[in-house]
Amino acid sequence: MKLGRRQFIGVSSAALVGLSLKSEKKIAGSFVNDSFAMGHLLRDRAAFPSAKRVEKAPVVIVGGGIAGLSAAWRLRTRGFADFVLLEMNAQPGGNARWGENEITAYPWAAHYVPVPGTKAVYVRELFEDLGVLKNGQWEERYLAFSPQERLYLYGRWQEGIEPAVGLTPKDRAQFQRLDDLFSEFRKSGSFTIPVALGLSTKYQDLDRLSFSDWLRQQGFDSRLLYWYMNYACRDDYGALSIDTSAWAGIHYFSSREPEEKGPLTWPEGNGWITRRLLERVGENIRTSQMVHRIAQTRRGVSVFAGDTEFHAEFVIFAAPTFLAPYLFENVPPLHDFVYSPWLTANLTLEHHPDSRGAEPSWDTVFLDSPALGYVDAMHQSLRTHIDRTVWTFYWALVEGAPAQNRQLLLEKDWAYWKEAILHDLERVHPDIRQCVSRIDIMRMGHAMIRPAVGSIFSEERRHLARFNERILFANSDLSGISIFEEAQYHGVEAAQKVLLKLQGRP
Amino acid sequence: MGILLFISVLLVAACGLIYELVAGTLASYLVGDSVFQFSTIIGTYLFAMGIGSALSRYLHRGLAYRFVWIELLLGVVGGFSSALLMLAFAFTQGFELILYALVIVMGVLVGLEIPLLMRILRDRYQFRDVIAHVLTFDYLGALGASLLFPILLVPRLGLVRSAMLFGLINAGVALWSTFLFANQLSGARGLRVACLVVVCGLGVGIAEAKHITATAEDNIYADDIIFARDSRYQHLVLTRFKDDLRLFLNSHLQFSSRDEYRYHEALVHPGLAAVPAPRRVLILGGGDGLAVREILKYPQVESITLVDLDPEMTRLFSTHPMLTKLNHKSLLSPRVHVVNADAFPWVDSNPDSFDFIVIDFPDPTNYSLGKLYTTAFYRAAARHLSAQGFMVVQSTSPMFARDSFWCIAQTLRQAGLQTFPYHVYVPSFGEWGFVLAGTHAYVYPASFPSGLRFVNADGLAVLFQFPPDMAPLSMPPNQLNSQVLVRTYENDWKDISH
Repeated sequence: MKLGRRQFIGVSSAALVGLSLKSEKKIAGSFVNDSFAMGHLLRDRAAFPSAKRVEKAPVVIVGGGIAGLSAAWRLRTRGFADFVLLEMNAQPGGNARWGENEITAYPWAAHYVPVPGTKAVYVRELFEDLGVLKNGQWEERYLAFSPQERLYLYGRWQEGIEPAVGLTPKDRAQFQRLDDLFSEFRKSGSFTIPVALGLSTKYQDLDRLSFSDWLRQQGFDSRLLYWYMNYACRDDYGALSIDTSAWAGIHYFSSREPEEKGPLTWPEGNGWITRRLLERVGENIRTSQMVHRIAQTRRGVSVFAGDTEFHAEFVIFAAPTFLAPYLFENVPPLHDFVYSPWLTANLTLEHHPDSRGAEPSWDTVFLDSPALGYVDAMHQSLRTHIDRTVWTFYWALVEGAPAQNRQLLLEKDWAYWKEAILHDLERVHPDIRQCVSRIDIMRMGHAMIRPAVGSIFSEERRHLARFNERILFANSDLSGISIFEEAQYHGVEAAQKVLLKLQGRP
Repeated sequence: MGILLFISVLLVAACGLIYELVAGTLASYLVGDSVFQFSTIIGTYLFAMGIGSALSRYLHRGLAYRFVWIELLLGVVGGFSSALLMLAFAFTQGFELILYALVIVMGVLVGLEIPLLMRILRDRYQFRDVIAHVLTFDYLGALGASLLFPILLVPRLGLVRSAMLFGLINAGVALWSTFLFANQLSGARGLRVACLVVVCGLGVGIAEAKHITATAEDNIYADDIIFARDSRYQHLVLTRFKDDLRLFLNSHLQFSSRDEYRYHEALVHPGLAAVPAPRRVLILGGGDGLAVREILKYPQVESITLVDLDPEMTRLFSTHPMLTKLNHKSLLSPRVHVVNADAFPWVDSNPDSFDFIVIDFPDPTNYSLGKLYTTAFYRAAARHLSAQGFMVVQSTSPMFARDSFWCIAQTLRQAGLQTFPYHVYVPSFGEWGFVLAGTHAYVYPASFPSGLRFVNADGLAVLFQFPPDMAPLSMPPNQLNSQVLVRTYENDWKDISH
């Protein structure tokens, strides 16, 4: 191409003073930790290789999330090391997986554990082992640093996520009345963590209607109150309050002491716990081992993973329970196990966006956002000077049926979700695109069990919990709610049952 | 001859711009609102130049003669403009009036210069060459002046002497012109005498500029800013008012050279003199090297580790002559090891043990700094204490921020330490507080290094007594997950300012 003199002067002088066309800052990233391809092999009943090798292991744990790792932890702390844990993914941890870059470690999913109450005995025991609880004191540097949470609403920031700005007297009265109701439920002692300890048929009726219907029955109509209740359900259950059992909605607010000073958290979220557990049980773990069949034999249980057949006396099935019908011959299709699809993203920030009127906090939420907000991984750093950081952005896909949303997760490409995330953040942080250099996205079709109406007291659940002498189900989805404490409880319980059989004591 | 003529155009243009910049800078510096000052001064100046250009048509004869006089006048008015403005601000109510009058006079004179020069040169060159050359050198001079001014003149010479220097250049051009245009001039000798008088006047002015500035500054509240620098971590400003050097970090006063000895003697000696045979000392914060200066008075101390976040800060206090004079080049001592690191992670990961630890951080004005005042931090720091050791913590004012002071003391106690709070009066700060902490009881030391100006054995006990208005308050400890101190501190100072 030949440039005319004028054009040449124009172009070169523009280049000299930096007036070339402004281009948008490039943001790198990709999908990470995709695992549905493997899951779909099971779903589609694909042919797996026949076993070429046989290995004997008295105990096989299937699934290396918190439930499986906790079972392994209990076995080893009781001096029993003759077991194998099979994990489908390359990285164990399940919903407590983490990532790390040159700035910091960061969570891929669960990012905190509320300070456990006195009933969560196993959790307290674990935290004593990990040095989180010392002589009855919680280690200060593992408690979320202040300021903890902030909510953006009506063009301004407030501390805390429960709306406190722009409330009418009626809103205030309703928040207060609901708080009083939750206090009553708390006092009843039926809404406990772990769920199993307090579960009482006295409140079974609450499992027969949705949380939002219950709220309506109680005469609540405050928009902000519904937003907050919906937020809680989306955050903990990946569901709207209309898709959540009232029992579970009440449990969220009534199972913990309100004045707790936590939560406990780490830069990599619950990945920190996973790391500590891996230090203790790592040598028993086989990663990238997808179990494709579990069959009961006369003497025990055969677990088929890859081309290996494990001969076990006991199997602790800590993988998500919805996989059971595809692995066991004698488990019928399950109806009461609904899972919420999620998306998490880790955003690398070269600097914080401007946010006037609020100190950067640990957890940031926007009112009326379809997503759940973000958590700052560097917030738990001891450093005084922080420039670069990583934000973990959470998004439970709650509108519409889970199956449709799973389809959406699969269909849309990375650029679509990147734009969706930036679009959401941009409403509050207009300069976010100038701050972000990378966005990695993790898609989880079955991220967590959904405590749908009727699921807490479901027959299916009770049946699986007492399934078999040799096969013990241990995933948190047995409780109907997907929280760290439930996973850990079921894992430890299963391990204790096995120890009782093998050694005569739990 | 041609090039020499055009060089005088360049010089003249530079002078014109310098006076304008001096006026703008001084007005911004003294009155504030630099946008307003520069806008109005440049506007007025250019407008006055227009008046000058318009007036030039009324000058018919003796152009060269008049040009020399204009240069001389400009040399005097422009050269003394800065000093005049400073004095006007210090001693009169009419600073703005004098400022704009001066700007107009200088603008008119500058506006006359170029048209006159062009007309003088008209007979020697083609008209289009005159225009081209004169304007070229005019603009070149402006460029030179605008670059010299911020880079060399203001930092090296200051505003008063810069203006006078350029006054000298104007006078020089005047003198030079009497030779260049000798054939067009009558009475060149008289002009030359006048030139010499102006040159002498300005020369004396430059020599005496310090007195003029000092006289003016005695009456100006604002101190001289020696430097203002943004490091990666903070905004550093060093000011000087007479013999008083002051350092501000993010606009918070860190010390005043007049009374910092009180602060730093009180920070170091009550604790360090109580440690038997101290060998190793740790300082967290304190990149100014002033606490180090005090510690170096103990010959038995073999090594001092100074951990300060900002390399710019420690570099400045190792190299800037005014600052090394203040800290006695303490940071250059072979006994001192400077580490530029974030204190909390450093304390967490370093395994060394120390006989005395000085914790001298900025006040807890935000949540980041608040982390350095928590039980978690003090526990981590206390792990570095040797059996006989003590640590001392800069703990803000027990007078103005009484809640905060006692919150810090409570935090240290919560971290498992015995505390011995004390306070000192530092005129530039007011009542200031420190908390000495250790794992054993504190006994007043019987002797101190010689040559201290404030701390002595007789007066020590008084420092540990708190009168009722600073007496202990019951406060919760500051923890990472509560950060009560940052909120308390904010309230304390809010109460003071209302």
